[in-house]
Amino acid sequence: MGVKIVPRHGKTLREKLYLPAIFGGMKTTLRHFTVNLGDTPQIKTFSYPEEQPHDIGERYRGVHRLTKREDGSVRCVACFMCATACPAECIFIEAQEREDGVDEKMPKRFDIDLLECVFCGACVEACPCDAIRMDSGIFSFIGKKREDFIQTKEQLLAREAKENA
Amino acid sequence: MSGLAIGIVVLNVVLALLFSLGAAPILVWIERRVAGLIQDRLGPNRCHIAGIRLGGLVQSLADMLKLFFKEDFRANAIREKFLFSLAPVIVFVSAFLSFMVMPFADDVYVEGERFIMQGLPIDTGILWFLALAGLSVYGIMIGGWASRNKYALLGAMRSGAQVISYEAAMGLSLISVLLCYPSVQLGDIVRAQGELLGGILPAWGIFLQPLAALIFIVTAFAEANRTPFDLVEGESEIVGGFHTEYGAMRFGLFFVGEYVAMSASSALIVTLFFGGFQLPYLNTQTLHVTMPLILGAIVIVVPLGSFYGIRWIRKHNRWALPNDCRNRESAWLSNIIIGLNGVLAAGIGYVWIVGLSSFSTQMLTALLQVVTFALKLLAMNFVFVWVRWTLPRFRYDQLQMLGWKVLMPLALANIIVTASVIVLRGA
Repeated sequence: MGVKIVPRHGKTLREKLYLPAIFGGMKTTLRHFTVNLGDTPQIKTFSYPEEQPHDIGERYRGVHRLTKREDGSVRCVACFMCATACPAECIFIEAQEREDGVDEKMPKRFDIDLLECVFCGACVEACPCDAIRMDSGIFSFIGKKREDFIQTKEQLLAREAKENA
Repeated sequence: MSGLAIGIVVLNVVLALLFSLGAAPILVWIERRVAGLIQDRLGPNRCHIAGIRLGGLVQSLADMLKLFFKEDFRANAIREKFLFSLAPVIVFVSAFLSFMVMPFADDVYVEGERFIMQGLPIDTGILWFLALAGLSVYGIMIGGWASRNKYALLGAMRSGAQVISYEAAMGLSLISVLLCYPSVQLGDIVRAQGELLGGILPAWGIFLQPLAALIFIVTAFAEANRTPFDLVEGESEIVGGFHTEYGAMRFGLFFVGEYVAMSASSALIVTLFFGGFQLPYLNTQTLHVTMPLILGAIVIVVPLGSFYGIRWIRKHNRWALPNDCRNRESAWLSNIIIGLNGVLAAGIGYVWIVGLSSFSTQMLTALLQVVTFALKLLAMNFVFVWVRWTLPRFRYDQLQMLGWKVLMPLALANIIVTASVIVLRGA
């Protein structure tokens, strides 16, 4: 292996004077300042909420939704895999027998407490039936009471996947 | 005293208040927006009163209200309650008073009486500034000590260490400046800077004494507790430094005091090294003689500037929706600017028709000089802000090293060279 000689800085007069480096730095910041002042619209900052983020892709983990079968009934079979996988323990499922013959079991209640949820996506990974997904694209969920953040089965079923334009 | 004289005195006091105290919210605003723009972001721009944002200037008002109405909390552990309360007052008052000797226009003569255009009409000049600016560190040290908090105490110790490292170099650099000018009174110094140096350059301090200017500007940063020398409140190491235990308006006084001190330091730098209220190449006598021409130039320059200003506002303060508050504000602002231009043109037209008396010439000159001073002050304050968002903080042994081993020998050498040149030229 060859020896790599690392140059030591700070020994020359120019470097010891500090001033050239300081003026160099000030030139850089002034350039940023003048460019940005001359054309503020090109700054990458969003004017949220008037301007919504446009970088929410297909794989973005937004608020959950429950998927449906072709006939429009709930796909979930209340197997508790997601509730077991959940590290935040925010999923509460109460199962009931399914009477319509499509399957044997379905959730009676399926609540997700979004205040507990860490949006890790473990429930989506764990689901054997592809019944829960996080592709709604909702990144900001607003409620006025704590109860508003507990998503019920009906709310989760009503949500659709985000259409990716 | 005639009514006119009283008017001039009141004007002086109002101007001094505007430049020091009134500048604080504007400086806070400039600091935040400039920081944003330097770092490729926008900075606060949302606060508004009835849709009027003024580019975020309203934010300073909101912050001030918040500081005023916050609970005035003081920890039980603090024993020296009086000193604890006194500390921010010392910082604020000394910063505020040190501004009072800055001349923002040449002397005005009314009915044979001389009026010095500064907050306090006294002749002590630089000495007054040095005395009061040096006092502000007592506020920091007393506050840090009275807080009974180890971080505050460390901050206070650092401020003590900082003072002994820069104060010597600062005083010595000023001596060589004072050698060049005949007086410590700042008005005289600025008048001397109205001359020309070899017929080309204005005789500004920075051309006469570049080294002293550099040393003084560096130490002024330390004096104002600004980055790169704000190690007193090194938030990465000692929480908030000396103001860790302070909240509400007590903290507010420290905060405003910092900006007033910054403004006072900039004012002194401008006064000593950048010609103070003098327009380059146009000293007071020239202004008196050529006033009609200058008014003509103003009639041309100001509308042109306003045109570009309005274009800038229209480009940067708009939104796609037609009735958005940004668009309405832009229209409102451009109307105000056009209106002000109209008032200015009408005023100058009136002056042209009526003709200039000696008094009105003096007042117009003073007005022009106040505007010049304000613009220079703003530019220097911008440099303070610009440096803050460029340079990292010094360690405090590095500051001492810089102060004692670099700046002080340089200042001493500068004094010797300056004194020799003056003696040789005089002999």
